[in-house]
Amino acid sequence: MNAEERVIGAFTSRFGATGQVQRRGRVWLTVEKDRLLDVCRFAKEEMGFVHLSSLSVTDWVEDGEYELTYHLWSYEEKILLTVKTRIERDKPEIPSLVSLWGENAQAHEREMHEMFGVDYIGNPDLSPLFLEEWDGPPPFRKDFDWREYVRSEYYDVENPRERVYFGGD
Amino acid sequence: MGDAAEKPLGDSYELFLGPAFPGLGNFAVKLRMDGERILSAKADPGYLHRGFEKLMEYRLPIQNAVLSDRICILEALAWNLIHAEAVEELMGVEPPERAKYIRVIMAELSRIQSHIIWYGVLSVGIGFDTGFKLAFGYRDYILDLFEMTTGGRVYPAGYICPGGVRQDLPSGVVKRIPEVLRKMEEMVDLEEVDNPIIPSRLEDVGVLSLEDAIRLGATGPVLRASGMKTDVRKEEPYEVYDRFEFEVPVRQEGDGYARYLVGIEEIKQSIRIVKQALREMPEGDFIAREFRKPKLNVRLPEGEVYVRNEIGRGEAGLYLVSNGGTSPYRVKIRGPSFLHMIPVLEHLLKGAQIADVPAIYWSLNICPADLDR
Repeated sequence: MNAEERVIGAFTSRFGATGQVQRRGRVWLTVEKDRLLDVCRFAKEEMGFVHLSSLSVTDWVEDGEYELTYHLWSYEEKILLTVKTRIERDKPEIPSLVSLWGENAQAHEREMHEMFGVDYIGNPDLSPLFLEEWDGPPPFRKDFDWREYVRSEYYDVENPRERVYFGGD
Repeated sequence: MGDAAEKPLGDSYELFLGPAFPGLGNFAVKLRMDGERILSAKADPGYLHRGFEKLMEYRLPIQNAVLSDRICILEALAWNLIHAEAVEELMGVEPPERAKYIRVIMAELSRIQSHIIWYGVLSVGIGFDTGFKLAFGYRDYILDLFEMTTGGRVYPAGYICPGGVRQDLPSGVVKRIPEVLRKMEEMVDLEEVDNPIIPSRLEDVGVLSLEDAIRLGATGPVLRASGMKTDVRKEEPYEVYDRFEFEVPVRQEGDGYARYLVGIEEIKQSIRIVKQALREMPEGDFIAREFRKPKLNVRLPEGEVYVRNEIGRGEAGLYLVSNGGTSPYRVKIRGPSFLHMIPVLEHLLKGAQIADVPAIYWSLNICPADLDR
């Protein structure tokens, strides 16, 4: 049994997760959303996955679900563990990982909240990170078409900000 | 904006730095000051946000290869490489041997010029303007090579594309690389000149302990300067990095000077790698058969991959999801500067002096472009 299979075995026996080895150093794990925090705590504290490399959200709009992915790296095992879980698109709530990775998780979750509208319960600051004065829907959602948005909002529409440059009253 | 409205803490005041401030790149940071001491810092990114992840969902891989240049201005070739690797892994395509060597050469030259810029901007951050001018002068030798190979000095326009590289390495470039490497060695000698300004301005400035570095997600030279021996090129060798001999420099101090020394050592190691790659480069194809003729309607097989590379600034990642269409379904770009510029910078600025802000900021080797994406 190689290191990748050992990692999967540890999680399946404890948390009932399903996993697969993609190639050397790549392990994908699917868990229930209620177990996410426990799985990540176990991964960090017992299995040595101390580095939260990245986290991401995929909008599966036809299934009505968001897929959250957490990419964890172990410096000892040299394995990238991706923990995946699905949440409902209408009620996008998930426990925050700030208690485990502090400011690292905080910044990542803040970005994902801004781009997808996922609520990370327990994150102290989910204020906008990149976008300024944006009051539309979270822009990385699949049902937001920015081409349509630009056409309706900016084509042949007077932009009040431009009055500063082009005169007017 | 919320912070400005907070009621003042005694005599403290808020200081805005950036995003159009020449000393700080296209990035803003709000400082809560007590006299000259920083009480707390809050990063305020977004000035360079272009939404690449969303843009890539609307485009074909052949277009995304060009778009991937723009993720980081200073390391365009490295981001080309990551995008190409992700598409190849998803499609199960193996680039030819010669292409892998060319990619390593270009990626390492890119790292050298990026580290030289690092030296330049760090010099200007600590008031040593000569270093800045030296750095940008010497960097041009490498840009000449990029222009001869890719047609662009800074943006290679997708030179490293899925399947290999767009053009073979011209014979003129092969002849010229050793000369340029000699110039780079000259540059390293200049960086190593016994210059009292650098240690006196960087020692014990911005000290990042190993524990904090791991918790905050530091990678690359920042993490190595805090005492962790790690390098993606060694841990999971991509392309042909497992065939070359090179050292991974590590320092224990974790201060700005340690990061500076790690940077110099990495230039030397990259020079070593380029020399070996040039010596061992085989003849043959430079692009895989499937990609020799550009096709527009190539379907990406259903699946997902996460590719990690070591670029000059640290660990870069690309998460690519496909549902079987011609464009990726979701792309997540993990730039090393995201964590270096938000949690690490905020942590290091807390309690520092205002005069040390540029030194701390530039010693982290950061790029606002790959933070904002």
